Amino acid sequence: MAQRSHWKENLEAYAYLLPSFSIVAVFGIYPLFYTIYVSLFRWRIRKGDFLGLANYEAIFGDLAWLGVLLGALTFFGLALKLREQSLTNIHQRSQFRGENRLRLMTPAQRVFYGSSWMAFILGAGLLFFSLPNLYFFGDDKMFDSLRVTVWYSLGAVPLQLVGGLAVAWLLNRKFKGRQFFRVVYLLPYIVPVVAGAAVFERLFSLRPESFANQVLLGLGIPPQEWLLERRGLVTMLTGWAAGESGNTVLGYWQSWIEGPSLALVSILAFNWWVFTGYYALIFANGLSQIPKELYEAAEVDGASRRSVFFRIVLPLLSPTTYFLTLLGVIGTFKSFSHIWVLRNNLAGGAADPLSIYIFAVFYGRSRFGYASALSIVLTIIVLLLTVLQQRAAKDRVHYGE
Amino acid sequence: MLPLLYMVATSLKTYGETVTRVSSNPFHPFFWPKWNNLQFVNYLVSWQEGIGSYFRNSVIISTVTTLGILVTSIPAAYAFSKLRFWGKNTLFTILLLTLMIPETVLTIPNYLTVAALGWIDSLAALTVPFMAGAFYIFLLRQFFSQIPNALLESARIDGATNFRTMISISIPLVKGPLFTISFLGFTGAWNALQWPLVVTLTETWRPLTVGLLKFMSEAGPESQLRMAGAAIALLPIVLVYIVAQKQITDAITQSGVKG
Repeated sequence: MAQRSHWKENLEAYAYLLPSFSIVAVFGIYPLFYTIYVSLFRWRIRKGDFLGLANYEAIFGDLAWLGVLLGALTFFGLALKLREQSLTNIHQRSQFRGENRLRLMTPAQRVFYGSSWMAFILGAGLLFFSLPNLYFFGDDKMFDSLRVTVWYSLGAVPLQLVGGLAVAWLLNRKFKGRQFFRVVYLLPYIVPVVAGAAVFERLFSLRPESFANQVLLGLGIPPQEWLLERRGLVTMLTGWAAGESGNTVLGYWQSWIEGPSLALVSILAFNWWVFTGYYALIFANGLSQIPKELYEAAEVDGASRRSVFFRIVLPLLSPTTYFLTLLGVIGTFKSFSHIWVLRNNLAGGAADPLSIYIFAVFYGRSRFGYASALSIVLTIIVLLLTVLQQRAAKDRVHYGE
Repeated sequence: MLPLLYMVATSLKTYGETVTRVSSNPFHPFFWPKWNNLQFVNYLVSWQEGIGSYFRNSVIISTVTTLGILVTSIPAAYAFSKLRFWGKNTLFTILLLTLMIPETVLTIPNYLTVAALGWIDSLAALTVPFMAGAFYIFLLRQFFSQIPNALLESARIDGATNFRTMISISIPLVKGPLFTISFLGFTGAWNALQWPLVVTLTETWRPLTVGLLKFMSEAGPESQLRMAGAAIALLPIVLVYIVAQKQITDAITQSGVKG
């Protein structure tokens, strides 16, 4: 091969990279630093005074309690790490299914296991006290939105996983019209989000002739306010509310029991409609990678379809499931479009996850500095979640056994 | 499925019907408009009320963005996969890191940047930032890597330059992934809400997403108009989906699995 002058080839390569990298640099990398910069100022459209960490103090109130919260998180991380240590190689040593894990551990591993629980309890304790205090001293709207985000994740991800898996499994058999169903199930995901949300906003409108209220009418239940309803689900179903004890630590946690607001549940309905098909598609892909011989072998052994599902399919799908859970949780923290369309100011923030709150502060109140600080917090949370998920799933995943 | 039927049914009703003639049961006649009085005019009205121009804007924006993505990503992916140069690994890692940054963090500073550039309310603001697609570069690079080097070597011996090799040989070989990227890029731009909302002030370049949002509040209680607007908004994408269904599902699975 002929000798090329190195710098010529370098130059050419850089030329190829220039267009995309210049855009990535300006709009993808530089903004990260710029955000940090902006968050240090009082910035309402125009740059104001230098504030240092004042914005962050406004978010968390007392930075001491933030330290406690971080301590709680560290303990949780420690607990996971210890647990990981205590469970290594354990499956290799088991001789029969369901053997007691504690018996299989070396003494050192048992210590790890016990310590992991202790760390977990310590972390939980710290969390129990720090979160309410942060709520009281800091930006309560921000922590409310954090709570909404948690409810949103809890409500969205399991439902979508179960729904998607069920659909994928049902469509795995050959039957007439299967192709048609396959097309139809992905349709909600294909539909542009704003259009779909616009339709859903009508479906769940508080007017008595809305679709949702008509369904309730058929069941003999009075019409609801749906997207405007800020009361929690538990409150509405049982009449129980946190009451006046709101300003204490216990009171704060009691308000969690009220459950997600009905407004949020309506939004979750939309989420479920859109994403079940998408999850089904990914699961179907995973299912198609299970070799037919496994099914046949199971049939020969006389296994019922149900046990085939739980004992063969489910464990083999665990990489896919893990991936989708990770994707789902991170996605809920970042999701914006459909919630923005469906939310209503009258719900008083009961359906505003963190991403929406940040945007409202930015777009609605023009507090750029504060919004920037909030977005940094969100970024850190998302990064933390990614790390946590990676760790927690390590001992659950079966790869190609 | 059901909501989409509802959308179509409601879009063809008169305003009066949307209030009086309602049902949650698609088998019940009240779910549907009066058959002798289908209000196709709703579509015309919403088109004229703005949906038409929003639609046009979205088409332009999405097309330009997709072209931009192709033009920037193809050379970059090719460079990463087939060329040797100093700093290759470093730059690649940096690219990888950008993927982990959530969108919300970027909105505020990018807004300030765009404002400083005087791009507010312009086509540039709506298209250029979206062309930064580390993801597309990764995907393409993967496929370019699968092209056997021997093929490129023989072209080089015949005297072709890198550029020529890229254009004539490599690109035709990755048509599938190119379609995937185009589709993903196009729908990404078509569906974008947060950024266009922030960056457009007037109706000039307002895309369909923002337009539909505004339309919702402007049309108020006139559900039938809103439904017609939504139907117009989703029709092209749905049509493309029905036609190219296999490629699209492949595209989604690929982007999902490779993450």
